[in-house]
Amino acid sequence: MVAATKFQSSYHYGFIDEATKKEIRRKTLKAVCIPGYQVPYSSPEMPISRGWGTGGLHLTLTLIGKSDVLKIIDQGSDASVNACHLRRFVQMMADCAVTFDTAQATIIQSRHRVPEEILTNRQILVLQVPQPEVLRGVERFEARTRQMHGEADYSKIWVSLYEAYVRFGATMRGSGYPIKVNRRYITTPSPIPRWDTPNLSMAHCLYLFGAGREKRIQAIPPHTPVEPLEFEDVKFRVEEFAGIRCSVSGESRAFMDEIFNGEGHRRHVINDSNFLDKLTSGERPPQRVFVNS
Amino acid sequence: MATLLKVANLHKEFTLFIPGAKKIRALENVSFDMEEGEILGLTGKSGAGKSTLMKCIYRTYLPTSGSIRMHLANGGVSNIAHAPEHEVLSIRRTEMHYCSQFLHAIPRVPALEVVSEGLRVRGYSREDASGQAQKCFERLALPEELWNAYPSTFSGGEQQRVNISRAVLSRPRLLLVDEPTASLDLKTKDAVIDILLELKASGTSILLITHDAHTLNRLCDRCLHLENGALRNAVPVRNTEKV
Amino acid sequence: MNHQEDQNWLLRVRGLTKIFGQPCDSSIAQTGPEHATNICPETGAVVAIADIGFDLYPGEVLGIVGESGSGKSTLVQLLHFDQEASGGRVLFQEVDQGRTNILALSNQRKRFIKNHLMGMVYQNPRDGLNFNFTAGGNIAEKLLMAGTFHVGKIRGRAGYLLTQTEVPVLRMDETPASFSGGMQQRVQISKAVANNPPLVFFDEVTSGLDVSVQAKVLDLIRKLQQESGISMIVVSHDLGVIRMLTDRTIVLKHGRMVEHGLTDQILQDPQHAYTQLLVSSLL
Ligand SMILES: Nc1ncnc2c1ncn2[C@@H]1O[C@H](COP(=O)(O)OP(=O)(O)OP(=O)(O)O)[C@@H](O)[C@H]1O
Ligand SMILES: Nc1ncnc2c1ncn2[C@@H]1O[C@H](COP(=O)(O)OP(=O)(O)OP(=O)(O)O)[C@@H](O)[C@H]1O
Ligand SMILES: [Mg+2]
Ligand SMILES: [Mg+2]
Repeated sequence: MVAATKFQSSYHYGFIDEATKKEIRRKTLKAVCIPGYQVPYSSPEMPISRGWGTGGLHLTLTLIGKSDVLKIIDQGSDASVNACHLRRFVQMMADCAVTFDTAQATIIQSRHRVPEEILTNRQILVLQVPQPEVLRGVERFEARTRQMHGEADYSKIWVSLYEAYVRFGATMRGSGYPIKVNRRYITTPSPIPRWDTPNLSMAHCLYLFGAGREKRIQAIPPHTPVEPLEFEDVKFRVEEFAGIRCSVSGESRAFMDEIFNGEGHRRHVINDSNFLDKLTSGERPPQRVFVNS
Repeated sequence: MATLLKVANLHKEFTLFIPGAKKIRALENVSFDMEEGEILGLTGKSGAGKSTLMKCIYRTYLPTSGSIRMHLANGGVSNIAHAPEHEVLSIRRTEMHYCSQFLHAIPRVPALEVVSEGLRVRGYSREDASGQAQKCFERLALPEELWNAYPSTFSGGEQQRVNISRAVLSRPRLLLVDEPTASLDLKTKDAVIDILLELKASGTSILLITHDAHTLNRLCDRCLHLENGALRNAVPVRNTEKV
Repeated sequence: MNHQEDQNWLLRVRGLTKIFGQPCDSSIAQTGPEHATNICPETGAVVAIADIGFDLYPGEVLGIVGESGSGKSTLVQLLHFDQEASGGRVLFQEVDQGRTNILALSNQRKRFIKNHLMGMVYQNPRDGLNFNFTAGGNIAEKLLMAGTFHVGKIRGRAGYLLTQTEVPVLRMDETPASFSGGMQQRVQISKAVANNPPLVFFDEVTSGLDVSVQAKVLDLIRKLQQESGISMIVVSHDLGVIRMLTDRTIVLKHGRMVEHGLTDQILQDPQHAYTQLLVSSLL
């Protein structure tokens, strides 16, 4: 039990009751066993609205123990309002240590980014996912998309890539580039930038994806091959930051934010705040950078 | 000489369900042999059953009973009266050609194409096939401006020449020809006869239906006579008229 | 001929049956041409086809004729896995050397067979084309599913096919929704044959088209057949189409095969009363 002094009430450890935790853990195990497959789960109520990271919280709260070190980031930043609130909530409910340091964390919950620093086999990255269904754009009906996954019938997603290329000259889509996990399921597990997509493949850490509103859990276990969909002659490309340097660190090899000031000037800053902090303090964390061919 | 075709006890009866069930006996107990390399004539009055017999051999008509055994190039024997459809199709593609009384050309295909198609299927290049077809048209005096027109608009005699060109160029082992010279003038008639004789010389056996005594005399080694669907005597004609 | 050649079939169909609704033990016995219905008098089940059997050989074009409701579309849709059969076996030489009943395979394997080894042209272009995709995208779909993942090659092939079918290549990147019926049909044919499958089904491809467009579509199918030697099954109630395109023909009535034979024999010497009626209404 966890005491909440403000309201003089107490909660289950990790907020969620044990029976539900058990169910979510079982679904998580199933997701790990079938990389890239969307496992439906109960998605219990949370003290935040669905769509604000409930799926991530479900996973974090069922995984965490008192000895864990938690890091929560929102779009690369540890200090954003959302990240701060979620961190305080989990810390209260789980009585665990928290950190900004990517290397120190055992569980990292994130929205829209994979940290630049290479994660290790001691770490789990939990991603909050708004829409886990890669096929939703080409097929409205859930019953059909499930059948399509079941039969590996991915023609429509491929045609949509072809059509995007014909129309726009690139298979480029903003974030959430479709990937094939373990040579079987096609998915777009989280709206991460293309920059992060190659880091999902053959990683040392476990990636978990929770979509609270859509009630789905997915996983990419360590050392799983993950391939972005690409044509033989039109290859997958990450965002180009050619000739661009971070205005704070002077570094060029990281995912950048574009910042405009009042006079219409534009500058770039590295998006991953902890990575930037380490660079400015003279550290050079290990990084895996994909180079466009 | 080896036997090419052995027809035995062939019966053909048409059952017409409309109007009312009616039976027409068209062939009755027809038996004969055909040798490899011979030209066999088939005569008889109109309605005697000549075309019916020929179409039975080609399997356009399904024989009611009896057998039609063809000795194939690969050494096998096929009973065309009962052979599976795909087997008959394969024989038609490679060893037997039917040149009907009327041209059944595919619409919207030019005359040259109609004729060279068969050659191209058998592996000739487009130019080669087209060249052979042109040569044949020249010999049969088919006007050059018709070569690239659609045969469905041709006159009877012109269609017939397209039909014969197609038959000759397909170089079958057995050629079935129904009235090849019916609507042709004397000169063209002789051109057709010459071409058929050349075909015979190159090894093709020919079963020929004709009402025309001149054609019959110049071409046939032997002759069968049909009367009311039954075979009368087989007459060797070559001996009767020799030039 | 010899036994060897008899094993050369591409597709072998035996006892193929499809019943809609609840059949009873006597549904099949109480339907068919001799009962002049395909509806079971006891349960109302529709015996769309029953006990159909035939072999299709490589390079052959097989015609299926019959009146409306005789089961023609059902037959090809069963072979193309669009519907689930109630009974019967289908062997396909390209799958396990013809040793496996392809109707009993998993959906995933059926899809693979359909994508790689078959093509289908539906009567209604909306069934065969996705109008949310462009004409080129529709052709790309077939090529992608058959394993071509090269945009340049896909566009080259799509452009070639559209030229062959006389659809202006300039319109490749438009959706077929804005095309005429004949053009849609030709895009559909391009899609069906895009990856040169060994077997293609055509279901009433020319009905609903005006005569000059019909002629173009028929010429196109003939040309494709001659050039690539694809085996085809052509469904039509129009004997003119059957005469022009097919080598062999099956006649269906109330879901049963009443006659089969070489197409010229079916047309000139039909054996069954029903076929004679069909043929006499042609002339
Ligand atoms: N498809 C058919 N259906 C019904 N009866 C037919 C059919 N074909 C031929 N017959 C009949 O068979 C008989 C023989 O006809 P066939 O065409 O063989 O005569 P033929 O000897 O070729 O005559 P011709 O010299 O006039 O061409 C005729 O009585 C004809 O009516
Ligand atoms: N989904 C279905 N449910 C019930 N009955 C069906 C269904 N689909 C087809 N049928 C019935 O099965 C029979 C055969 O239909 P099918 O569509 O195969 O006919 P068809 O020969 O293609 O006819 P048409 O020439 O009109 O296209 C018909 O009696 C039809 O009513
Ligand atoms: Mg005659
Ligand atoms: Mg139909």
